[in-house]
Amino acid sequence: MFRLPFSFIFTGIAGFVVFHLLSLANFAGWVGDMPRTPDGWFRVHLLVLGWAAMTAMGAVYQLISVVLQSKIYSERLGFIQYAFFLIGLLGLLYGFRSGQVYWIAGFATIAFAGIALFVWNLLCTLLRASQWNPVTVGVLLSLVYFTSAGLFGMAMGLNFAFGGLNGWHERLFAAHIWLGTVGWFGTLIISFSFKLLPMFYLAHGHPTRLQHAVLWLWNAGAVVETAAYLCGAPLIWKGIGFLLVTVAAVLFSAHILQIRKRRHKKTPGAGIRWATIGAGWLALLGVAVCIVCFLFPRTVFQPKTVVLLIWGYLWGWVALTILGYLSKIAPFLWWTHKYGPRVGKQKVPAMADLMNERWANVHLALIAASLVMLMAGIGFDQAAVIRIGGSALSLFSLAYTVLIARVFTR
Amino acid sequence: MEPIKKEQVLEWLTTVYDPELGVNIVDLGLIYDIQIRDGHVEITMTMTTPGCPMHHAIVGGVERTLHSIDGIRSVRVEVVWDPPWSPDKMSEEAKERLGYFA
Repeated sequence: MFRLPFSFIFTGIAGFVVFHLLSLANFAGWVGDMPRTPDGWFRVHLLVLGWAAMTAMGAVYQLISVVLQSKIYSERLGFIQYAFFLIGLLGLLYGFRSGQVYWIAGFATIAFAGIALFVWNLLCTLLRASQWNPVTVGVLLSLVYFTSAGLFGMAMGLNFAFGGLNGWHERLFAAHIWLGTVGWFGTLIISFSFKLLPMFYLAHGHPTRLQHAVLWLWNAGAVVETAAYLCGAPLIWKGIGFLLVTVAAVLFSAHILQIRKRRHKKTPGAGIRWATIGAGWLALLGVAVCIVCFLFPRTVFQPKTVVLLIWGYLWGWVALTILGYLSKIAPFLWWTHKYGPRVGKQKVPAMADLMNERWANVHLALIAASLVMLMAGIGFDQAAVIRIGGSALSLFSLAYTVLIARVFTR
Repeated sequence: MEPIKKEQVLEWLTTVYDPELGVNIVDLGLIYDIQIRDGHVEITMTMTTPGCPMHHAIVGGVERTLHSIDGIRSVRVEVVWDPPWSPDKMSEEAKERLGYFA
């Protein structure tokens, strides 16, 4: 299977490029603005749905056979789902850009149909394989979150156009963010990492007990936090949800150390190393926020802190992990398509020959440094630092994208 | 024509590499058994992990490599998970290539 995951990953790369070109054109000025504006929604959805979710779905189609040792339920349904999601996303982005609420409502519904078809396809695949372990249970839970996040997003879109849920809009908004970021992306990354990291490190005999703890604590945190926002529960419940997610993040980092300890390959590659650094960063960020929350409870709910947290989480962990994993997924996708059938007939390159590891490392380091600069700018209200950090982030992200795209020319 | 020997088959299989690890499948210790009868070759092998993404490429590589040898009439590859592969099955060359340390 090549065309289906490639379609998603190629579209995701295109979305990533457009996002950064628009950011550069604006000299990253939009970063300093509050995100709850039509322009902010446009940019966030372009990045989160147009790149991250698109790439994540492509990676799931590519890697589900690795996790389950069985094929996807329906490749054809995958293409139909791709069309729904892409059309819905493009219309939704236009709706945000032009501020047309009926476009937002209509195309959010089409995008949700795309999500629902993806979830259906994966549910059928999981149920048919019927192998339950922390990896597959994690994938199953991430699908539940993806559906819920999409459903709440669609509900907000419909509310923009037709009203009727005004009293619920703020609650739906907070739940939509938690379900999408911590629920869908977080659970999917964690569960896939349980399978992929030992493969990339060639680790054998590492303990797996922590996987259960990480999975359940993370999901307990996601559910408690979402329920707290939906029910308008007291602050303490939101704190408990955040604490559970943080403990899970710390244990996830500890599990990565267990895997590293039992590795039989010196290095898993630059991209994977940066993905693990991202996991460490997530744990540190969570602990830091818990300490600040304990000492200065009101600070955490200030808009600036929330923006900082979202950047730290989405870029520092989710995006860094996706970018890092792409350094393996893209060569794997291309190698199996182009060179797999030639093995045994002629000399073929190794996967490592398709991508310059040293440059990948340099680019990812520069992306991480730009993010730190951007977050410092937001933290200290320095507009110039935000603009320089944001522009550098876009510039180095584009350079890294070129590195990934070049794999498909080898 | 001389009958084909196991040692020859092993030598030919050193040209098939795990593309992710950059090490040939013989040095990785993936080949468990080779049976040869009247030019019909049966390979019993494993992968470093169940669900290895390179499964089809490696098995296909084994089949194509051996099919191209004069005197081999058919090739059958069976992938087994028992006993599971472990790092101690690797040759010293493979360990060195991977920067292995126990």
